[in-house]
Formats: sequence, structure tokens, C-alpha cells
Amino acid sequence: MEQTPGTGGPRAADPGRPPLIAPGYTSATVTDKISAVVLRGTPRWWFAAFGAAFLLVMLLLGTLGHLFLKGVGIYGVNIPVGWGWDITNFVWWIGIGHAGTLISAILLLLRQEWRNSINRFAEAMTLFAVACASLYPVVHLGRPWVLYWLFPYPSTMGVWPQFRSPLVWDVFAVSTYATISLLFWFIGLIPDLATLRDRAKSRFAQIVYGMLAMGWRGSARHWHNYESAYLMLAGLATPLVVSVHSVVSFDFAVGIIPGWHSTIFPPYFVAGAIYSGFAMVLTLAIPLRAIFGLKDFITDRHLQNMAKVMLATGLIVAYGYLIEIFMAWYGDNRFDVYMSLNRMFGPYAFQFWSLIACNVVAPQALWIKRLRRSPVFLFVIAIIVNVGMWLERYVIIVTSLHRDFLPSSWGMYSGTVWDYSTFVGSIGLFLALMFLFIRFLPMISIFEMRTILPEARVEEARK
Amino acid sequence: MSGTAAVSLAPAAYAPPAGLAAVRRGAFAVGAVAAALSLLGAWMDRGQFFRSYLVAFLYWLSIALGCSAIAMLHHLTRGGWGLMIRRVLEAASGTLPLVALFFVPLLFGLPELYRWARPDEVQADALLRHQAVYLNAPFFISRAALYFAIWCGFAWVLQRLSARQDATGDPALPRRMQMIAAPGLVLYCLTATFASIDWLMSLDSRWYSTIYGVYFVGGHAIAGLSFAVLVALYLSSRGPMSAAFRPIHFHDYGKLLLTFVVLWAYFAVSQLIIIWSGNLAEEITWYRGRLLGGWSGVSLALVTLHFALPFLLLLSREGKRNAGRLSVVAILLLVMRWVDLHWLALPALSPEGPAFHWLDAATAIALGGLWLSAFAGRLARRPLLPIRDPFLPEALAHD
Amino acid sequence: MTRPRTVRLYGQMAEFASPHDLLAAAGAARSAGYRRLDAFTPFPIERLSETLGHRPSRVPMLVLIGGIIGALAGYGLQYWVSAVAYPLNIGGRPYNSWPAFIPITFELTILIAGIFTVFGMLVLNGLPTPYHPVFNVPHFALASRDRYFLCIESKDPKFDPASTRVFLEGLSPSGVFDVEY
Repeated sequence: MEQTPGTGGPRAADPGRPPLIAPGYTSATVTDKISAVVLRGTPRWWFAAFGAAFLLVMLLLGTLGHLFLKGVGIYGVNIPVGWGWDITNFVWWIGIGHAGTLISAILLLLRQEWRNSINRFAEAMTLFAVACASLYPVVHLGRPWVLYWLFPYPSTMGVWPQFRSPLVWDVFAVSTYATISLLFWFIGLIPDLATLRDRAKSRFAQIVYGMLAMGWRGSARHWHNYESAYLMLAGLATPLVVSVHSVVSFDFAVGIIPGWHSTIFPPYFVAGAIYSGFAMVLTLAIPLRAIFGLKDFITDRHLQNMAKVMLATGLIVAYGYLIEIFMAWYGDNRFDVYMSLNRMFGPYAFQFWSLIACNVVAPQALWIKRLRRSPVFLFVIAIIVNVGMWLERYVIIVTSLHRDFLPSSWGMYSGTVWDYSTFVGSIGLFLALMFLFIRFLPMISIFEMRTILPEARVEEARK
Repeated sequence: MSGTAAVSLAPAAYAPPAGLAAVRRGAFAVGAVAAALSLLGAWMDRGQFFRSYLVAFLYWLSIALGCSAIAMLHHLTRGGWGLMIRRVLEAASGTLPLVALFFVPLLFGLPELYRWARPDEVQADALLRHQAVYLNAPFFISRAALYFAIWCGFAWVLQRLSARQDATGDPALPRRMQMIAAPGLVLYCLTATFASIDWLMSLDSRWYSTIYGVYFVGGHAIAGLSFAVLVALYLSSRGPMSAAFRPIHFHDYGKLLLTFVVLWAYFAVSQLIIIWSGNLAEEITWYRGRLLGGWSGVSLALVTLHFALPFLLLLSREGKRNAGRLSVVAILLLVMRWVDLHWLALPALSPEGPAFHWLDAATAIALGGLWLSAFAGRLARRPLLPIRDPFLPEALAHD
Repeated sequence: MTRPRTVRLYGQMAEFASPHDLLAAAGAARSAGYRRLDAFTPFPIERLSETLGHRPSRVPMLVLIGGIIGALAGYGLQYWVSAVAYPLNIGGRPYNSWPAFIPITFELTILIAGIFTVFGMLVLNGLPTPYHPVFNVPHFALASRDRYFLCIESKDPKFDPASTRVFLEGLSPSGVFDVEY
């Protein structure tokens, strides 16, 4: 396994690029270290953490039980504000999911190898965030038990979905997204499940991981088809992720409500989704790598790169705010102008300016390299952006609805305790799934980590 | 470095081909003749001249500016992907002062082009009176001056640092270029957006769309990259660069081009879906003329030749790697960029349908000839690869 | 080998400590005339499949087929529902509202293409495979950690238990094993 001189390849000589993995690791030690997190047995704190999250899941189930008994009236929504916390949370969760797909698919296509240590749990995050997101539109349907009416099937009533409605597009977009994310995550896991099968000591673990690995042997034929499929799926997931949040933005933009009907919405929602998603990845990665001692794999360089992506997408979001306000003035449409002024100086001005402070002002600190290097600071900024992006959706939804065309139908909106408990409960669901994931599956892709080791640089060594 | 054995890194090895001098002279001659014809046309039909000239100006601007933006993106990401075409991008962005000069004649045609520049119409129209704070000739001109100052300024600074890198090989330079490229790109996106509003959208001041600037910038990216790829293909077909370029480099550019084409289509279709579904009188008029009227053929051509055909050609591996097929795509896209700008600008001035005029061709060829001549001159000045960039061996050995 | 030679062999397998050795061995086996070859590695190695003489993957073709089916089905479904089966006047828009049909057509294209990709990959790889002879080699568990294996199958016309073993041992492996059924 000795390296002949120069086999580190040009990448090893790159000036100013810190390593992606601390020196000294080999395929064996990477495998052992990551699989040990899963196979070692359950640490005591895990029970406490999972238990706390599970209590929140109970809160969610209790709330939903109450909702199904009483109806959507328990939420704060009414005329004129028919969408409130529920759709805010839906968009927020879906947006968080997008960073996972971005990291696993787009960065794979761009051959950004730094993704290899964060893609697995980012994908898991996507999946769980989509699960939380899809809860909201379903439970606020009013009659969630007839959910299947949303799908096109030859019903005895002879009716079909109305395909000109963006809400139907949403059903297709979100269910496609959930399916593809699950498939992508699962095929990414197959080689690692085989590793766990081969490393597990208990018979039960061997059987479970063995069944999930489906007989993966790591043969050259397998890898050949596998790599092709993985790349193809990444190529499909990339436009998909853009389309999903675009369709979410169509839910608003194809209507003619001032503040919703804006052509910039699709790209600006996508950028916002990536922005909040990367904030969530940082929120999770910074504590996780400290707890599990994975700083050699998720290095400071990873955090810095994510900080840069956050800065870039945050600027696109700021561009969206700016251009909307400018066009409202430029077009001189009195409803658009009023809506903009009402956002800035009306009853929800506090939320608006908080969102500007969180999403536009605070992240500008990321221009400073010294601050990008501090994990603690990044963690704080990531939390701020998470809050800011939630507020953004809240402001877009509520301020556009509460004062529309006719002053006689104006009204105010605020969430109720049931809104809060659904939201907190969905965070609990997300965390509970996340804890199960890090306990039972490798949170870093073992086989992809092996490929960035110096010993894997086969091509360069041959020259 | 492992790449040194295969490919030389001596500056002399990447001397520009002698053919560039002929291109420079030939393009200048063609441009001068077309310019003379255009002037004749301006004397014959002043209004038509300015219409044609506006599109021609925006077209060559989009290539120069697109190259400049891609160069900044390359500095920002510090990837090896841009190194092989960096000199092409730099030579194109170096022509921005000339493009600024191309802008000047438009100042004599503002009333011919823009309703807001005709005082009697402004008096009669409440919306134009409202917009007059922004859309008035002095502010319009000073904004344009600011845009060009920013574009030329960033291109110039990055160019100088790149030249210094050739001379000294200072390892701190990539980082400095990165630090300049980041605000450069931010300012580029902002200024290009407002330039699109000023120069194109305000042709029909009643209509507005918040995605317009993004669509405009997406067009720049396609124009700039198609042009750079075309020049790279030309360079790779002869002389020293034929050894340096490999199919994988073009594979990467093909992928990037595919991405840009898809993004452009995405911006276009997003705007269409939102406006079509909203169906508001003040918005849908913009599409009425373009989709149902005499312009519908042009719209169909944009869908098929600006999106569908390049998309299908770039999807296959061969389409990206085969020089012949890639150059077909690049040429097609460069032609369709002109059609797209024409489609954006002129329905406001000739709503009943496309009225192709010989001045459209004459002005585009005039500006193009002069611009290409300046470009070839700049490209011939320096080695065709940034030989002392620390990432160059990686880019050359890339496989 | 305590058991008699009558045990049917799936093939013989050599274990290597590094991917470089494996690639060299794969090349050597190929030029020695072996055709039924497979290698087992803990991560994908570029060109290994080429070196072993495997055919290019057929996954991309499946993706294309899936995408075309998805696009046609997506548009067809919406057209049939909105213009034929259940025509409704929605705000005066045409029954065949093609701009509004773009999103779902796109989503179904991706969905069907993605399903074809994943299940196509599994089918082409013959997964799930509950039983496979290579797992009978105790060392094989390391193929998912840090060891690299080259297997010459007994179906190979040139395969011969004695001479193939000599050949494999000549490639300086860290071990050579019989793979029994």
C-alpha cells in the first residue's frame, strides 16, 4: 500500500486547499471508524435524546388526533388568511430537504469530492424533511381521509383532478421527489449495508443488513452498473429538485394575489430552499461531528464550503426581495405598491424586518473568512437563517392574504397553540427519524470516503 | 507534477496561432464595410436603423459580458474547468470598453426607440409620468455609464492580475482573483438586471416581469460559453493547443452548456406558466403578440432550436465530445441568441409580426466584425494558457 | 482442501492488498487469455470493468426509455383527462392547456426514468441475490473493507484448477482460494 512518489496526484499538491480527510487514514480505518458508530452498541445519551424527540412525536400525534376530531378550525386559519402556519411549515420543510439533494446530486455531477462525507446524512435529512413537509398539506385538507382524491384514478364518481391547478402539480412534484429521494438514498446505502453485513457480529444484525444489502458483492460488474445508475439518478434529481420548489412557488405565483403573482418566484424559491437547507445541514453537522468525533471526516473545509453556498444563495434571495419591490414601484400597480408598503410598514412589519435582518443582513458576516472558520459562529448563523427562512414564508403567505383587494374583507392572522404544537411535533418527528438513522445506518458514506483516500488514486499511480 | 511529462508548460509552447492576425484583419474589413452600409441605412431609415442597432448591440454585449461573467465564475470557484478557456474569456471581456463605445450611437436614437423619451407621450400617460423619475434620458445615460464602468473595471482588474500571474506565478494571486470575482459577480447580476430593464423591458413600459433580469443573464451565459467553446474548438484544431485540449475538456463545456440551456428554458417557461395562468390584461399582452400573432413562428423556433434541439444534441456523450457536433450546437445557439434578443425587443416596436430588414444583418455584421477583430487582437497578445496557474497541471492532466 | 476434488468449483479467487495490484492482475489475466473474470472491490475503480473486458453499462438506455415513457404518459394522461374524459371550462382556458401541463409531464418523466434507473440497475446486477458462491470464501468479507479480489470463473474455457491456481499465485497475491458452490 506504499505510495510511490507523486501518486498523491496533482490534487495533493493543490495550494490553499485544506485536505478533505485528515491524513493517516486507510480504507480499513475509515471503514472501522464509521461502521463502529453503528455496530458499537447504543450510547446512553442516545436513549435520552431519542426519548425526548419521541415525546414530541407523541405531541404531534395527539395534535393530529385532536385535529381529525375537531377539524381545521383548531388552527388559526380563516377567511381571508386561509393558509397560515401549515403551509409556511410545508414550504419550510420542503426547502430544507433541497440541500440534501443538492449536495448528493449536483455536487456529484460537479465532481466536488468534499460532498462525500456529508451526502449521506444530507440525503437522510431530505427524506425526513419531505416526510414532515408532506404531512402539512395532507392534514389541513379538511377531509384528510379522502386524500386519494388528489390522484388521477378512474373513480366511481367519474371525476378527475383538475390539471391546470398548481395544487395538483404539487401532489405530483412532492410524491416524485419523495420517491426519487428514497431511491437515491437507498441505492447509495447498498454498498455500505454490505459492509455492515460483513462487519456485524450479531446474527440478527447480519441477517437484517444482509437482506437490505440484497447480496451486494462489490463486483466490478456491480460497480459498473451501479456508478452509471448513480450518476443517471443524480442527473435526474438535479432538475427535479429545481422543479419541486418551482412547483411550490407556483402554488402562490400562478394566482393573482399581489405579493404572490411574481415571475421571479420559481428561481427565488429554489435559491431560498437551498439557502435554508444548507443552514439545516450546518445546524446538524456541527454538533454531530463533535459528538461522534468525526472532525477528521467532516472537516472545517466542509463547513466553510457550505458557508459559501449559504452566502451565495442568500444573495439570490436578497435579489428577489429587491427586484420585487422595484417592480412594484416600476409597474405602478396600486395593489402591488400597497402590498409592498404594507409588508414593510403594516401590522406585520416586525416579522418583515426580522426576516430581512435574519436572511439579508446577518449572513453578510460570511464574507469574512475568519468568521467562516469558526464552527460556533457558523452554527449561530445557521440557526438565524433557519428562523429567517421560516419568517420569509410566513410573511409571503400572511401579508399577501390578510389585506387583498377589498378593504372590507381585510383581517388579521395569528397561529394558535395547535399550530405551535404541530410545528414542534414535526420537529420532533424529524429529530426522532434522524436519531434512528444515525443509530442504525452509517451516517457517512463509507464507500465514497474510501474513494477519496490517497490509496484509491489508481489512475494517477499508473502513469 | 504528473502532468509535466505529457504536456509542456513552457510559455512559448502556447503561442497564439498565426491565423489570428488574418482573422483580425479580415473581420475588421468586413465590419468596416458593413458599418458603412449601416450608416447609409441610418440615413435612409433612421427608425429602422436604431431598432436593428439595438439588437446588434445587445447581441455582441451579451457575448462579451457572458464571457466576463463566466471568467468571474471560474475565478470564484477556482476550479480547473475554466483554465483551458480562460484566455478566450479574458480576451472577450477585455473588449468591453469597445462595447461601451458601441452603446454611444444609441443615445441619438432614444426617442425613436423608447416611448418614455418622447416628452409629448410622457405628458399624456400617467404611468410614464410616474416612471419618469427612473426612465429619463440623463439618468438613463448615467446608469449606463455606471454599468459599463463596473463591467470594464472588474474585467480590467482581473485581467491585470492574470497578466501578473503569467509574469510572477505568485501563489497568492488565485485567492486575490477569487476575492475580486465574488463581489464582481454580485454587481454583474445587479447591473445586468437593471440594464435589461433600461434597454429592453422599457421598450414596452407598461409590461413588467420580475424574472426578466435573470432571463437576460441566462442568455449572456449561453452566448458567452457558446462563443468561448467555438473559439476553443478552433484553437484545438490547429497548432500547440491541439495537444493540450482533450475530449474530456469539451465534455465538461458541453455539460455546462447543457446546464445553461436548461436553465434558460426554465426561466422562460416559469415566466410563461405564471403569466399564462394569471391571465392579467397588463401582462398577457406581452405573450399575445408573441404566441398568437405574427411572432408565433419565431416563438416556435425558439422552443425547438434554442432549447429542444441543443438539449437533445448535448444529452449524448458524443454530442459533447465530438468537435463537429459540439460546434454545430455552439453555432446554432449563437444564432438563436440573436433570434431571442430580436424576439424580446422588437414585438414592442413591430407588434404585427417579424419584419426582417437588411439593416438587422448589416448592423449585426458591422458590430460583429469590429468586435471580432478586437477580440482576435487581444487573444493574440498572450500565451493561450495561463501557464503559471497552480491548477493548470491538474486541468491539463484531467481525464 | 480436506474435501475431495469432486466438489464443483465456481472458480478461483486471488486476494490483493491494493487496487494497483488488482488492476495489474486483471490486465495480466486478460492478456493470459482468461475471459470469464470478475473482480471484487470495496469501492468503484475506474477502468476496472474495461480491463476485465465487460461490456458498457446498459443503464443509460433504460433511463432514456423510462424518460420517454414518462413524458408521453404524463402529457397523455393530462390531455386525455382534460380534453376527452372530463372536459371542464376553467377560467376560459383551452381544454388542452399545454402550458399548465408542463410541470406534471416533467415530474412523471423524472419519476419513471428514476424508477427505470434504480430497478434497471438492480436487474442488470442480478440483485437481490440471496446466495452466491463467492461468500463461501471466509476472507471475502474483507472485500467490503480493504481487500481486492480477482476471480476466474470455472466456466472460463481456459480454466483448469491446477494451472489457474499457478497463474493466480504468480500474480503475487496475498492469498488464493477455491470458490466452491
